[in-house]
Amino acid sequence: MNGEAERTVAFTVNGSPWRGTVEVRQSLADVLREAVGLTGTHLGCEHGVCGACTVLVDGRPVRSCLMLAVQADGAQILTVEGLAPGPDQLHPLQEAFWNHHALQCGFCTPGMLMTAWALLQEHPQPTRAEIQTWLSGNICRCTGYQNIVEAVEEAAVRMAGEGGRA
Amino acid sequence: MSVLSAPRFVGQRIRRVEDPRFLTGRGRYVADHEPVGTLHVAFLRSPHAHARITRLDPGPAERAAGVVAVLTGQELEAAQIRYAGFAGQPIAPLAVDEVLYVGHPIAAVVAHSRRQAEDAVELIAVDYEPLPAVVDPLAALAEGAPLANSRAASNVCFHLEHQPAEIDQLFQEADLIVRETFRTHRQTAVPMEPRGILATWEPVAGMLTVIGSSQWAHGLRDGLAAALHLSQSKVRVVVPDVGGGFGVKYGIYPEDVAVAYLATRLGRAVKWVSDRIEAMISDFHARDGIHMAEAAFRKDGTYLAIRDRMVSPAGAFMLDGSAAVLETVIGSLVLPGPYKVQAVGFTIDGVLTNTTPLGTYRGVWGPAATWVQEGLLERAAEKLGLDRVQMRLQNMVRKEDFPYHSPTGVVYDPGSYQESLKLAAERIGYADFAREKAEAARQGRLIGLGIAAFIEPTSLGAWQPEPPTVPYESAVVRMEPSGEVLVQVSVNSHGQGHETTIAQLVADVLGVDFSAVAVRFGDTAAAPFGGGTFGSRSITVGGGAALEAATKLREKVLAIASHLLEAAVEDLEIGDGAVAVKGVPARRVTLGEIGRVAYWIPGKMPPGMEMGLEASSRYVPPPMTFSNGCHAVVVEVDPDTGRVKVLRYVVVEDCGTMVNPNIVEGQIVGGVAQGVGAVFLEEMGYSDDGQPWATTLMDYHLPLASDVPTVECLHLETPSSTPGGMKGMGESAMVAAPAALIGAVEDALSPYGVRFQRLPLTPERVWQAIQAASQPK
Ligand code: FES
Ligand code: FES
Repeated sequence: MNGEAERTVAFTVNGSPWRGTVEVRQSLADVLREAVGLTGTHLGCEHGVCGACTVLVDGRPVRSCLMLAVQADGAQILTVEGLAPGPDQLHPLQEAFWNHHALQCGFCTPGMLMTAWALLQEHPQPTRAEIQTWLSGNICRCTGYQNIVEAVEEAAVRMAGEGGRA
Repeated sequence: MSVLSAPRFVGQRIRRVEDPRFLTGRGRYVADHEPVGTLHVAFLRSPHAHARITRLDPGPAERAAGVVAVLTGQELEAAQIRYAGFAGQPIAPLAVDEVLYVGHPIAAVVAHSRRQAEDAVELIAVDYEPLPAVVDPLAALAEGAPLANSRAASNVCFHLEHQPAEIDQLFQEADLIVRETFRTHRQTAVPMEPRGILATWEPVAGMLTVIGSSQWAHGLRDGLAAALHLSQSKVRVVVPDVGGGFGVKYGIYPEDVAVAYLATRLGRAVKWVSDRIEAMISDFHARDGIHMAEAAFRKDGTYLAIRDRMVSPAGAFMLDGSAAVLETVIGSLVLPGPYKVQAVGFTIDGVLTNTTPLGTYRGVWGPAATWVQEGLLERAAEKLGLDRVQMRLQNMVRKEDFPYHSPTGVVYDPGSYQESLKLAAERIGYADFAREKAEAARQGRLIGLGIAAFIEPTSLGAWQPEPPTVPYESAVVRMEPSGEVLVQVSVNSHGQGHETTIAQLVADVLGVDFSAVAVRFGDTAAAPFGGGTFGSRSITVGGGAALEAATKLREKVLAIASHLLEAAVEDLEIGDGAVAVKGVPARRVTLGEIGRVAYWIPGKMPPGMEMGLEASSRYVPPPMTFSNGCHAVVVEVDPDTGRVKVLRYVVVEDCGTMVNPNIVEGQIVGGVAQGVGAVFLEEMGYSDDGQPWATTLMDYHLPLASDVPTVECLHLETPSSTPGGMKGMGESAMVAAPAALIGAVEDALSPYGVRFQRLPLTPERVWQAIQAASQPK
């Protein structure tokens, strides 16, 4: 093997600092799941298509199966575990997904939520077509998407009512 | 007869109790379990469709960094480790000297990390001598065709035939015979969570514990026990959260056996989680059937008889639950669908091929058989110049015909066949559609309307004298000393929401709040034996068992209350967490008080009554319970590109009592999306030499948010005779959607006279069909 095999990285996950030694070839998803212990980020394909592994890196949606952990050095990372405003509370997106039966097996759900979060940051009042386009990078095999799209619509309305809190 | 009178929770759109953990990233799937010291497995798989292994040297891999062991087929063979395929035929988990499909596992590397295991797989030295690959099932049937497996006597691995005496006569008397070959393509279910298994072994005690992503905990337990020569009591299977199944996680896989064996050999926790590329070639494939069908009609549209010759490429092995058997045999039982015919004949050949084994995927028989059923009828209506809705109505089983004894021997329980067709036709705008279509044509647009009336045989019970599937489901309902309720069921959830729906049922029977009922499943150490989740039967059969057990428990609760209140049982009513004397609400005893007596105070129990509050049931349903309904859809075809857009989609569903309409509609909309995938997007193709074309999600196109239509769901409710009046429906949308969509595209292309014999209807295939049809008529 050429070059260094391991490196120390430090980043912030859901507001808490994390520091550790990782293999330079390890994906951010593997490090989040195995080293940080946050298994809410799921792996559905490991080749960048399904979106189940989507997390926010410095506010932008990223497929954590395609990003190396070392690339996240110094970054602010948000995963599904950090979405809710507090313990025993849900984010309006989570609440809306619940209300609309927008999940069945729940495996795609974390990635859907993170992508929807990024969408609503950029387009606080998205059209239906915008929602469909944004969510087209996340595959759900269970729901047929209809309820997910409706949930994002509801969350947008609620969040607008709450002063755009995300 | 329904045990649910005046339900409070059944029928309500209650939010699911399982959702908060999924929404907050606290779901726990197999991959999320990792005991300290867990070892990881990666498999070496065949790159050839058919070859002899002339050399296999694990040495270089064994010496690689982090590697603990390399397992080969020889070792498993020496230990006589095999699992049972169709009719108990043994299957070797790892190939020994002959590989039979691309993806066939050959060896397993165990290492400290998955990365190390994957690296080491590359180091195993293997030499192959390629053999002729058998891919096309019709060619495989030909005289002198090469064998897909050199140990097999013939490529035919399953044959069944039934031609009733009167069928020739009916075809002779017919005014019209419609013949068509319908060929479905190969698909695979692709649950978003790949398969996975974690096995741990307690030495000396000899206890195997497995955490597996499975639809059937007890089946996996018994399959592993048999394969590994362990007693069933020494194997415990725990199914955690499961990220979708759709049939593909039912049954046992070679990787399950190899990983469990490795745990026993190494005395360590051993784990394997499939990556997507290996999932595409190692998860069961599905469909891929050929139906050479013919149907006989009278001039007035009367449907007389249907004959179908079915050929199914089973793949390299006949699995227990092989689609070569289930797709065809179940299909043969319901070929006429909701229509009355006088005779049904069929011939089935299952054929070995050098492709991934065929197993089950949502709808199993349905997408193909409903296409045959509706496709033949559409062609007949066109030839006879009859209205296609009228011709359907004319031939449908009517209210007064129920219970309807089909010539295939199955009995249809009451449904709403004509009503659902009429409702769907009305809602989609059938009466006005000729005008709409002509109007669109004037604007140069091609639009078409498709209809698929369907029946779905659900909730299998004893559907054969010695049924190949568990003919019942089980439930244990326990009221705790607090008066709260714990339910253990034998059915599993991989997205269906059993924790919610079964709680709704039990809460209504026991008169407690929905939130006071917890539903558990998936752990063979706690859950009663049953058949797991398959064939659209969990709520009817598993829910039926829960209802029966809860009803027995209610009787006991009432008997204790009667004793405590000194009132006759007939004078008591249960509700709001208490039992009270009717009309005298002050004379009441809470369920908590009853619980305290039942668990702690023998002296206050009715004389002779057993302590505790627990009841169980094994509910055997009728052989089949038929749900029904109708899909109607309007599509637009772009003649320049061959692309199809769904403009509107209506589903009428009759699944009897609906426990939770949100969940019913979730199943419908999800099923329609899979139907869109099946017809337009997904294809697991093979080259002539047996190389799979679609091994990533870039090649195998699953439907995306931008591909699926908005579906309008309408409901009719014809209750079944099961305890809650429910009927299964989890597969129905997948049963009907393909036929409706194909019919709509054909209707849009009616100016060109196009009929499709093959799927999927990719833009290319649609465009070519338009080009091939000379000119608009
Ligand atoms: S797991 Fe990263 S995109 Fe599928
Ligand atoms: S809820 Fe199962 S994949 Fe989306």
